[in-house]
Amino acid sequence: MTAETTAKSGRINLQSNDGITIEVDRAVAERSILIKNLIDDLGVEAVTPQTPIPITNVNDSVLRKVLEWCEKHRADQPSAEEENDSRKKTTEIDEWDMKFMQVDQEMLFEIILAANYLDIKALLDVGCKTVANMIKGKSPDEIRKTFNITNDFTPEEEEQIRRENEWAEDR
Amino acid sequence: MAPAAMSGMPGTKMHDDIDTTWNYLQGGITKIMNNLQDGLDMVTYMGIYTAVHNFCTSQRAVGFHVSASTVSTTGAHRGAHLLGEDLYKKLAAYLTKHLQDLHAESKLHTDEALLAFYIKEWSRYTIAAKYIHHLFRYLNRHWVKREMDEGKKSIYDVYTLHLVRWRDVLFAQVSEKVMDAVLKLVEKQRNGETIEYHQIKQVVESFVSLGLDEGDSTKTTLDVYRYHFEQPFLDATMTFYRNESKQFVAENSVVEYMKKAEARLQEEEERVGIYLHPDIGPALKKACNQVLIAEHSAILRDEFQVLLDNDKEEDMKRMYSLLARIPDGLDPLRSRFEAHVRKAGLAAVAKVAADAEKLEPKVYVDALLEIHTQYQGLVKRAFNDEPEFTRSLDNACREFVNRNEVCKAGSNKSPELLAKYTDILLRKSGTGVEETELENTLSQIMTVFKYIEDRDVFQKFYSRMLARRLVHSNSSSDDAETSMISKLKDTCGFEYTNKLQRMFQDMQISKDLNTGFKEHVQGLGSKGLDSSYSVLGTGFWPLTAPGTTFAPPQEISADCERFALYYKAKHEGRKLTWLWQLCKGEIKANYIRNAKMPYTFQVSIYQMAVLLLFNDADKCTYEEIASTTQLHADPLDPSLGILIKAKVLTMEGAKIGPGAVFSLNYDFKSKKYRVNLNVGMKTETKQEEAETNKTIEEDRKLLIQSAIVRIMKARKRMKHQQLLSETINHIRSRFVPKVQDIKKCIEILLDKEYLERLDDDDLGYLA
Repeated sequence: MTAETTAKSGRINLQSNDGITIEVDRAVAERSILIKNLIDDLGVEAVTPQTPIPITNVNDSVLRKVLEWCEKHRADQPSAEEENDSRKKTTEIDEWDMKFMQVDQEMLFEIILAANYLDIKALLDVGCKTVANMIKGKSPDEIRKTFNITNDFTPEEEEQIRRENEWAEDR
Repeated sequence: MAPAAMSGMPGTKMHDDIDTTWNYLQGGITKIMNNLQDGLDMVTYMGIYTAVHNFCTSQRAVGFHVSASTVSTTGAHRGAHLLGEDLYKKLAAYLTKHLQDLHAESKLHTDEALLAFYIKEWSRYTIAAKYIHHLFRYLNRHWVKREMDEGKKSIYDVYTLHLVRWRDVLFAQVSEKVMDAVLKLVEKQRNGETIEYHQIKQVVESFVSLGLDEGDSTKTTLDVYRYHFEQPFLDATMTFYRNESKQFVAENSVVEYMKKAEARLQEEEERVGIYLHPDIGPALKKACNQVLIAEHSAILRDEFQVLLDNDKEEDMKRMYSLLARIPDGLDPLRSRFEAHVRKAGLAAVAKVAADAEKLEPKVYVDALLEIHTQYQGLVKRAFNDEPEFTRSLDNACREFVNRNEVCKAGSNKSPELLAKYTDILLRKSGTGVEETELENTLSQIMTVFKYIEDRDVFQKFYSRMLARRLVHSNSSSDDAETSMISKLKDTCGFEYTNKLQRMFQDMQISKDLNTGFKEHVQGLGSKGLDSSYSVLGTGFWPLTAPGTTFAPPQEISADCERFALYYKAKHEGRKLTWLWQLCKGEIKANYIRNAKMPYTFQVSIYQMAVLLLFNDADKCTYEEIASTTQLHADPLDPSLGILIKAKVLTMEGAKIGPGAVFSLNYDFKSKKYRVNLNVGMKTETKQEEAETNKTIEEDRKLLIQSAIVRIMKARKRMKHQQLLSETINHIRSRFVPKVQDIKKCIEILLDKEYLERLDDDDLGYLA
């Protein structure tokens, strides 16, 4: 593809579920496997400013946040991500992503859901790791407090679960 | 447009209802399956994807709840329950129905139409499968992945599910009919019709795609293709060619059949490249080789003799390349070839051997060479220069070179004639062979030499004749001589040519010696003869002292004595023996009347001694000559004979011998001013030959004995049998020893106490 055609066809229009159209580079949008497959299947010419891709499950503010992440990570090697097993096992997050995830809890969960829907594996991982880090080192009660969960176990149930998971206790 | 398309899609609140969701999805899938060519709009695309996503995610809360309560009662569930099974089952059922419909429709078609139908539907189906695979990606990523991770065998990703359904529902029913159509099409092509082979290529691709690895759905195997395509294809191929070749052979010559088979094999090889899977290549080749060649190999081989007899090179080449394709196909050809070459060689020798006594060495060697050259060319051109055929050629040549009509009396004849031919080539002669041509001919000599078994015989004759060439300095060129010696060295090793090289060296040393001697004589101030001497090492030269006494004339003996003194001063302790029989010289005849210029006679030293007597008298009796020269009758009589025949002397008396009187012929006439009287060694060479042959047996015994001693010295102790075979190995490069001779030599060595008998049939070495 020559530079000229890249520039022409290089922009993609996305429409959030609250009806706002956002224009981004195709490479950025294609961080989403959903969008990448769609363009592969239907052809890039199907996507025009008049017929943006309807992102039915994501609103404008979340979509912009997701695209911000995609912009930052536009050049990442997707294959390396897929195969990097050690990445899954650690909860380490790089600095930019850590800052990026410093949002309120509702936005954090919206990002995770959007990443899951749009099929952006790396972003989904970062989101889940952020949540995991929020849980790490906390007692059940502290966790309930953090995520505002009411305890619906009876004391007997709780005791049974504790016994079953004794092997996993960190002592 | 967007809202209209969206209307049929279940909203976010209706997600939990499988029927509603499926109804929506089915519409989209049907469109993709049947009308994808009309295009798919983006809203529908996103709609289907979102519906699948929403169905799988929205019930999660419900799922969590259910599993949480189960944990408390059974404790069997681990992790979250993923939704999607209903969707997967609906999709699978839909595909089954779709394919059953296709099967029903396929019954309307046969043969090529069926083929076209199958291919059209296959391509439509697989393209659709790719779309649906993408649209159901959420299902793949979560529910399907979980099921597969848990080891469920019958759950596939959505694309593979499409293939599995196709295979199980449609393919299972129609594959045979499709294959029949394929085979009919191929048969048409084999019969010369033009066909639409792209269809077959696509069928192959389809069959290959259906080879799913049950253990790992990301991999494919060729099992389906091999079973449903390759095997029937091979069977049909074999049947077709079996029938065709049977009929063709019945109606045509073998030569024609070979052309046909070659063309067919070529054709099938191309077929693989054009529209078959490369996997079938080796099997198809094997099948064709079997039916087209192996099953007709008997008649092919029978024809080989005919082709050989008629020199049909091109056809033999064809036969070679055909039979080379089947295992062990060439062995019978090789043995026939070997027998044929041997026969041809023997016939060629028999043709020239009519008069074995007068057989010209050149004629004989050329006869051998001609056969070798002819069949070596054949091996090169028709048999791909294959080493095995070369070996057969070598075997045949070795046979007819060593055992033929000429060698009836003994295998010595071949090396003898070869050595003689070499001598003729290397001797100075009027023919004047070109340098390069000579080199070529010498190489050809080596070709024959390599087949000679009795190389020691060749060596004997060669060294005798080399000695003669050197002593009489009538070798045509030093370069050619050294080239020949180095060729022999390359083939037989240093030891074989050692003596020959030493002879060469002696001649070189003698040259320097003569220069030194001349300076020495000039220094003395006395006027000597214009003489030159060669000093030849006794051990290296095949020469013996003369069998006669001889008193050299005064003029000669004075010079000889001077040289002897000079030499002894240089090399104390060496003994010089004069080989008078090899000496020669020139004398000027100043006495002849009517000669404008004095004649010059080239004579042997014996003749010279006789002629010099006539400086003092015009007449001499036989007895006077004999007593002054001291020569025995053996050399004297022939020397005189030549002088008389040339009319240098005239004789009174009936025959040369006591009583005869010789006088100088003052009226001698000759066309040439230089007259060569040193001729007529005919009888001499004949004698030499006989002598050489006689010494061979003796020398062989010594050679065997020395080999045995060498081996035993190294091994100290050896079994009798082992020693025999070891000795044969050692000597084989010279000649092929007889076991009996070796045994005799061992006996001799035991008697001489070089060896001793030990227990257990062992022999020991005594130092």
